[in-house]
Amino acid sequence: MNDNKKLIQTNKLQLGLNRRQLLKTGAAAGAVSMFNINHAWSKDVMWDGEPFDADGATIRINEWGGFWQEFMTSNVIEDFEKTYNCKVAYDSSFPWFPKYVASGPKDPAFHMGNWNLNEIIKLGKAGDYFLSTEELKANMPNAADCWDFAFGSGLGVTWGFGQYAHVWRTDLIDPAPKGFAAFWEDRFADKRATYITSNGLFMTFFMTAAAEFGSGPDDMEAGFEAMRAAMPMKISDFTGNMQTQVERGEVQIGVQWEGEIFLQMDKGIEVAPLTWEQKPILTQTHTVSRYSDPVEKKLALALVNAKLSPEFQTKAGEAFYLRPSNSKASLPERLKNKGVTNTAGALEGLWIPDWNWYLDNEDEIVETVNEIFAG
Amino acid sequence: MLAAPGTIFFIVFFVVPLASLFLLSLDKPSLGNASVQWMFDFRNFERFFGRAIYYEAALRSAGLAALVSLIALILGYPLAFLIAKTTNVRRNTTLMILVLSAMQLDMVIRLFGLMVLMGDVGLINGFFRWSGLIGDQPLPLMYNFAGVVVGLVQFSLPFMVLSLVGVIQGINPALEEAARSLGATRSQTFWKVTIPMSMPGILAGLLLVFAISFSSYVVPTLMGGWTVVVLPIHIFQQVVELGKWQFGAAIAVVMFAISFIVMMIYQRAAVRASGGRV
Amino acid sequence: MAKGQVKVRRERSVPVIMRVLAMVSLVLLLAPVVVVILAGLNSGDHLTFPPDGLSLRWVVAFFRSGAFLPAYLFSLLLALCTMFFSTILGTMIALVLARNEFPGKQMARAFFMAPLMLPGIVLGLALYLFYLSSGLGLTRTMPGLVIGHVLVTCPYVIGTVNASLVGFDKSYEEAARSLGAGPLKTFRIITLPIISPGIIAGSVFSFIVSFGQFDVSLFLTPPDYNPLPIALYSSLRYTFEPTAAAAGIFAIFLVVVSMLITARLTNLRKLANVNFS
Repeated sequence: MNDNKKLIQTNKLQLGLNRRQLLKTGAAAGAVSMFNINHAWSKDVMWDGEPFDADGATIRINEWGGFWQEFMTSNVIEDFEKTYNCKVAYDSSFPWFPKYVASGPKDPAFHMGNWNLNEIIKLGKAGDYFLSTEELKANMPNAADCWDFAFGSGLGVTWGFGQYAHVWRTDLIDPAPKGFAAFWEDRFADKRATYITSNGLFMTFFMTAAAEFGSGPDDMEAGFEAMRAAMPMKISDFTGNMQTQVERGEVQIGVQWEGEIFLQMDKGIEVAPLTWEQKPILTQTHTVSRYSDPVEKKLALALVNAKLSPEFQTKAGEAFYLRPSNSKASLPERLKNKGVTNTAGALEGLWIPDWNWYLDNEDEIVETVNEIFAG
Repeated sequence: MLAAPGTIFFIVFFVVPLASLFLLSLDKPSLGNASVQWMFDFRNFERFFGRAIYYEAALRSAGLAALVSLIALILGYPLAFLIAKTTNVRRNTTLMILVLSAMQLDMVIRLFGLMVLMGDVGLINGFFRWSGLIGDQPLPLMYNFAGVVVGLVQFSLPFMVLSLVGVIQGINPALEEAARSLGATRSQTFWKVTIPMSMPGILAGLLLVFAISFSSYVVPTLMGGWTVVVLPIHIFQQVVELGKWQFGAAIAVVMFAISFIVMMIYQRAAVRASGGRV
Repeated sequence: MAKGQVKVRRERSVPVIMRVLAMVSLVLLLAPVVVVILAGLNSGDHLTFPPDGLSLRWVVAFFRSGAFLPAYLFSLLLALCTMFFSTILGTMIALVLARNEFPGKQMARAFFMAPLMLPGIVLGLALYLFYLSSGLGLTRTMPGLVIGHVLVTCPYVIGTVNASLVGFDKSYEEAARSLGAGPLKTFRIITLPIISPGIIAGSVFSFIVSFGQFDVSLFLTPPDYNPLPIALYSSLRYTFEPTAAAAGIFAIFLVVVSMLITARLTNLRKLANVNFS
């Protein structure tokens, strides 16, 4: 909470500076400076929750590509473009972090984004890029129905999530593995897999290992020891690769999240998720850029709001096995038959990894772990 | 001046951006900042040469590229020779098309193909197991140095072949025949006449394959299983993951320096090989 | 055969060891391609090998797909633009480099080769930062992307055109000029026929390299329009789908078809001639 107050303070300062700069360089007359003055105040522009005519404006978003993009386009974006009379420019080429940084907070590369918390928090540390959760909540009707943890990051709203689990081949492993530490059993040498350090799943894996074998998720030394003990181990750089390796049997137990595992199960592949008492979660989180121009900002808020609607959440659950963060969303059958529920009780024990701590120590973790992986 | 548009293009879109990037490497590291600050500080380079993980990566990159170039030459020359010496037009066109199609396959999809072939439960290991050559333990052909070498060779082989075919074809057959008629064996003719005459192609191919392997990001990432960390991977990690533009730029400068040295070596060798006719 | 007697029969047979190694190379080159083609023709539900059966369903899915087909077409357009500009610029540069002697010529050659020596991601990044700070309005636009591609394909054009100019005798051009032909006519009648294999080869190279280019495109891609390699990478991060393999097949199909067409126009072997020195 204090952080938010601090944020608002710095914003006021920056606002003042902006005005002064503009008045000084006021030479650039005409439409441009008018636009700039709007720009300086656009932080205060908010949305009232009703559809409006954007007069053909273009909003830039960053979001995952491929099938995800096709789904978003047909389920949200097409209707959105019609309702609001706007155009959505969809950038699916990850990485987006450098693009944001290269443009700076005041001229945001994107107006709205959907990505992972670790990247979002990292960007938040690099500058004042995003609207805070307070501001988001105040501007989106659907936000009121969401579970509290959806706003836990302070910088964006989590609209979907899934539990971190290990995927294991039920037909290749007997007896069944139990618990988190099963990953380290000798019988899985070189048949277990995790991800590269830039993947959020690795970070979760690391912190969970630190908690399991050490004094807590921030026990770096324990985490490093666990990594050393896990070698030899295969390293994937994305979940698609992990999926293929599991399907081909190259990997028998791997770091994953339940959505992918459910997907493989429904495809008929002999896998099952392995979970344990602690329940770290992986999240899909939306951010809205603070310094966008007024129209684009309102569009961004409206688009995020659309993603929080119960109907959309159910569809996303259907397509990606994502758990909804809207308490009013009903679960699709394919999630229900895996034992997932959308109640306050279902959230017991779920925790979001402490990305702040991880990012503060990221350099050291990355360099040390890379040395360990390189053997 | 005929070269004017090209030169201007290169200066504006190549020299200037790179110069900015190199200047960036002389700034103090700062998380959110991607613009040049003109600090002229060398700490990024101190860091690079100070930590083993980085300068070892430089050696690894150069060594890997050199090894791949050599292997590509050994494998590529015969194929180029075959294409060059095949007089049947249909056949040599088919061979050329095959080589060019192999170039066209996207790297990520190729990874799948290679995984099927070289993975622990892949076709090659399956064959070895079936024929009894190895026991239960699979040959680790992927996600290690060997995998990266194979991946890079597979990727750059067409470039080597294409650098060689024209040159080999251009060798005047009268020279080879003259050597034979003077009593040289086939093998002597090959090593004393054909190979030296192919030198321009050999050198061009080596340089090209070196450049491709040295600067490749995708292949070591997808085939190396994170055990083969070369400079492009470090750059990517520093810039994209950690937001350390300045340090990433410093690594790029080191890469450029190494390539420059290699280029110079190539130029010297090329001049010597063509008897100064260049 | 008596010593001194020149052999009449042109003995071109390739020694066995060469053939064997050549076959090894071919197998190495083509094996992944074959695997991918078969996987893309899989009648089953996901990317497996060996395929469960053969079917065109994934090829059809590729045509219907909202992500891959537009990416394929965009890559095609991008590669054609790149080929056009790269060929023109590269040929001009190669002509100047080959015809003239001047101090620092070696450096100039190295300079134009330099884009190949750096990782594509470095080039893309440097260009991205440059676009942002220069305010030329090239950020995240197609021209910006084309520029990046031209940078990395130009060296190939320069290499192939240069190779066709090795040993080029300026006296032919001078003779034509002295006979009254203007510079354009001289170029058309004398120079162009000599360098045309080199130009065609360079164009082909630049097309192929641009179509498959991933590294440079990573930062320069405009939103909404992805080149195929980026679209494939984005989608394959999450699921390895046969549609992706089908996309790969189509890229190959494109090359084969265009090569067959080119083969009609010229002997393909003549295309393979590269020289950077």
